[in-house]
Amino acid sequence: MAAEQATKRAARPALVRVHALSKRYVQRRIFSRDKFVVDALKNVDVEIPPDCLTALVGESGSGKSTLASCLAMLETPDSGEIWFEGREISRAAACELESLRPKIQMVFQDSSGALNPRFSAAQIIAEPLEIQRRVSGRKLRQRTCELMEEVGLSADWADRSAHEFSGGQRQRLAIARALALRPTLLILDESLSGLDLVTQAQILNLLAEIRIAHSLTCLLISHDLSLVGQVADHIAVMHKGTIIERDTRQQVFESPRHAHTRELLAATRTIASAFRAERPGSE
Amino acid sequence: MNYLTRRLIHGIMLLIGASILCFLFADFAPGSFFDEIKLNPQISPETVAALRSRYGLDQPMPVRYVRWAKSVFRGEWGYSFAYNAPVRSLLAVRAGNTLLLTGVATFLAWLIAVPWGIWIAAHPGRGIDRLSMGSTSVLLSVPELVLALGLLYLVVRTHALPVGGMVSLRFDQLGRWSKIRDLATHLVIPVTTLVLANLPIILRHVRSSMMEVLKAPFIQAARGHGISKASLLFHYALPAAANPLISLFGFSMGGLLSGSLLVEVVTGWPGLGPLLLEATMSRDLYVVVGVVMSSTLFMILGNLLADAMLLAADPRVRMQ
Amino acid sequence: MKTGKMMTSKTMTNKAKTRAAAMVLVLLHGIIVFGGFIAPGEPASQNRDFPFVPPTRLHFVDAQGHFHLRPFVYQSVSRPEGLYEYEESRDQEYPIHLFVEGPKYKIAGLFLSSIHLFGVEAPAQIFLAGSDNYGRDQFSRILYGGRISLGAGLLATGISLSLGLLLGTISGFYGRWVDESVMRIAELFLVLPWLYLLLAVRAFLPLHISPVQTFFLLIAVIGSVGWARPARLVRGVVLSARTRKYVLASRGFGASDSYVLRRHVLPHTYGVLLTQAALLVPQYVIAEVTLSFLGLGLSEPLPSWGNLLANLQQYNVLVSYWWMFAPAMALVVFSLGYLALADAFHKRLQSVTV
Repeated sequence: MAAEQATKRAARPALVRVHALSKRYVQRRIFSRDKFVVDALKNVDVEIPPDCLTALVGESGSGKSTLASCLAMLETPDSGEIWFEGREISRAAACELESLRPKIQMVFQDSSGALNPRFSAAQIIAEPLEIQRRVSGRKLRQRTCELMEEVGLSADWADRSAHEFSGGQRQRLAIARALALRPTLLILDESLSGLDLVTQAQILNLLAEIRIAHSLTCLLISHDLSLVGQVADHIAVMHKGTIIERDTRQQVFESPRHAHTRELLAATRTIASAFRAERPGSE
Repeated sequence: MNYLTRRLIHGIMLLIGASILCFLFADFAPGSFFDEIKLNPQISPETVAALRSRYGLDQPMPVRYVRWAKSVFRGEWGYSFAYNAPVRSLLAVRAGNTLLLTGVATFLAWLIAVPWGIWIAAHPGRGIDRLSMGSTSVLLSVPELVLALGLLYLVVRTHALPVGGMVSLRFDQLGRWSKIRDLATHLVIPVTTLVLANLPIILRHVRSSMMEVLKAPFIQAARGHGISKASLLFHYALPAAANPLISLFGFSMGGLLSGSLLVEVVTGWPGLGPLLLEATMSRDLYVVVGVVMSSTLFMILGNLLADAMLLAADPRVRMQ
Repeated sequence: MKTGKMMTSKTMTNKAKTRAAAMVLVLLHGIIVFGGFIAPGEPASQNRDFPFVPPTRLHFVDAQGHFHLRPFVYQSVSRPEGLYEYEESRDQEYPIHLFVEGPKYKIAGLFLSSIHLFGVEAPAQIFLAGSDNYGRDQFSRILYGGRISLGAGLLATGISLSLGLLLGTISGFYGRWVDESVMRIAELFLVLPWLYLLLAVRAFLPLHISPVQTFFLLIAVIGSVGWARPARLVRGVVLSARTRKYVLASRGFGASDSYVLRRHVLPHTYGVLLTQAALLVPQYVIAEVTLSFLGLGLSEPLPSWGNLLANLQQYNVLVSYWWMFAPAMALVVFSLGYLALADAFHKRLQSVTV
């Protein structure tokens, strides 16, 4: 049933269509001719269907985060196109960006310092509203509290500072912050890594709730195929800067086409249960 | 390119940069040596103008810089207006004296600080450690100027040592050993001042980097193997703690030279300090530039020495 | 668990240390700011009959052996046989009174007043730190000189830190060739021994100018020579703050450069700036003292700690009048306070970053 629904939804035009996207990082040192070249993205083609949860899976260094940054307009690709709601956004002008940015929001991995340790919870959530000048004063506070409640945090905690929250709670804060601007597309970059199993499940449940409430399209980025396999409608597998496989979850799990996908799957199947049961909680 | 060559080129670039900086400062400055002369009614404005053009002061900055650079390659380092002589002839002796003073002071300061620092790092929290830390923190806040004046006061009151200058007046008549003794007694006050001023910093660094190393697992392991304490401290811990200390050696040159300038002026040591002061007063441009360049040269040589020691002490640097 | 507890107790003592050092410094600066009230005399008023009077002794017991609760002094009179030698004339006691009328001054430089904290009746005089070659009260001169020396140190620190913050932020935030060139120049300033640089810069500036001009010139020179170290440190902090994910997130909300700098980047530099300030103030006070001592700074009759110490350059003063070292004591006390504060700030900074 679910798979059928997913295919039906996928039949609608894609929300995001990425075409031949390339990005190369060059690092050079002054007074020296040697330079380091990394091809983070090589001719990436991918589509994100609307109202679905698409998972982007790959090993670390495979270019997932670069793709996410390009989608979130935080990086400019060297070549290629990104179409969002019928507009090419990869080379949008500054004035266009202002209206575009709220529609695509990104949730960063918490352990990499996604929340400013000097801010209180309320300040963290209020930041995007402040920047976009959506609301101010009393209303801002009210909206902040609403958002906290929405992600399952008590509004009484609004004045606690970020480091007083647990890992899972911080992830909720980051999601609340991203939701503040009512985006169309939510990109979650490794949002579940570093959390213990129970918390991962809780965050995934939260994600399911808000997806329905806000009719959100989600892109979940993870290195853990088995984890996203439980929730994603579509799965795209990345390897060495290219998308090697993209299909519905069922297709990917049951008949993977690319050898690397098969490797990833084999790895999860053999060690998953034993390994994950013993993994200590990170909180 | 190997490591030392790179550092050498870097040092030369810094020297060139420093000389350009000097000329830029001089160019921004409103007055010059000849403005002071102009105040003298006995010298006609024409003479001043002629002198200015003879020394090239009427030329724009880049031209003057090139002229100066050429004279550096000729070994003259510009021309002193006040002494009417090439700057190098003034610099050479003075720089040697400063080098003697700072060299002896550096050597002694490290000679004292390293074993002392290692000892208190091995016995943290004991009486001697607390006493050392307390006294160094007081010593740190006594400026070199006050130290030099205080020492001078003590010596003058007790007549224990000769005061002022580098040698006694009858130096030339002395035999070889008496000469050395005479020089050494004159060295005592300036060297003591510099050692007292620099010892606290070095001591604290030795202590903290040794304490860091002594906490490391490999030291605990060695301790477990039953190595003697002296061997543990000097053969295991000290080489591991050496890196930051060697960098400190390079850094501390600047403070030592600045301190030395003051001490030289106060105790009348005929080094670069009094020369710079004199040149500053009489606005003797090229002497000022020359002294600043010599001090920079010392600084860079000190850093190069530190780099060489680093190369010898740390195999990781060789891999670069 | 155990280490956590130890950590908190350590940071608590550090907090207490910070507070203690800060309080002592506030007190010391208060003494300087209200120097006019505390000083019994004027810094410039000369008393040519009493050059080099040793510090006046406070007595509690008089010649008859009676104990007085209120301390008193004897009048110092010059000994007939010796030059600049004094003895106490024990004929009459002059008790020390609090809140006495004296020469006019401005409280904290604002309100005119003539009430002084303490004083004795004429003809007795009270020289707490002796008098100098013109018979001027050293204690008053140290207090007034503190305004100049400390003022110069604080203002020069302000200049250095502003320059350092500006250049360090630009360097760390915009990176690339701007960063490269600013840091190369900073390296140049760091490699030059600071006193040589200071003297050289002073050498290129006019010698004969008014005291006010000299004061500000001195501050400008000292302040602009020392920008490199704060700039380097600020750059490091900005560089690491800039690459944090919350800055990227902020960009994702459409934040401008100025917003990111204001809200996310600059607050991280305050710790470094505070530590640097506590280190630079004493260093710059010493720089002023040094330049004035060498005759390149402020000149007489303006009192600054450097000018006061410059008296010691005369051999006979150095040998005979130990109380001329008193300004050095003031210098050392202030340096101690600032270095203790810098130490506490530094420890706090480390405990935050680790």
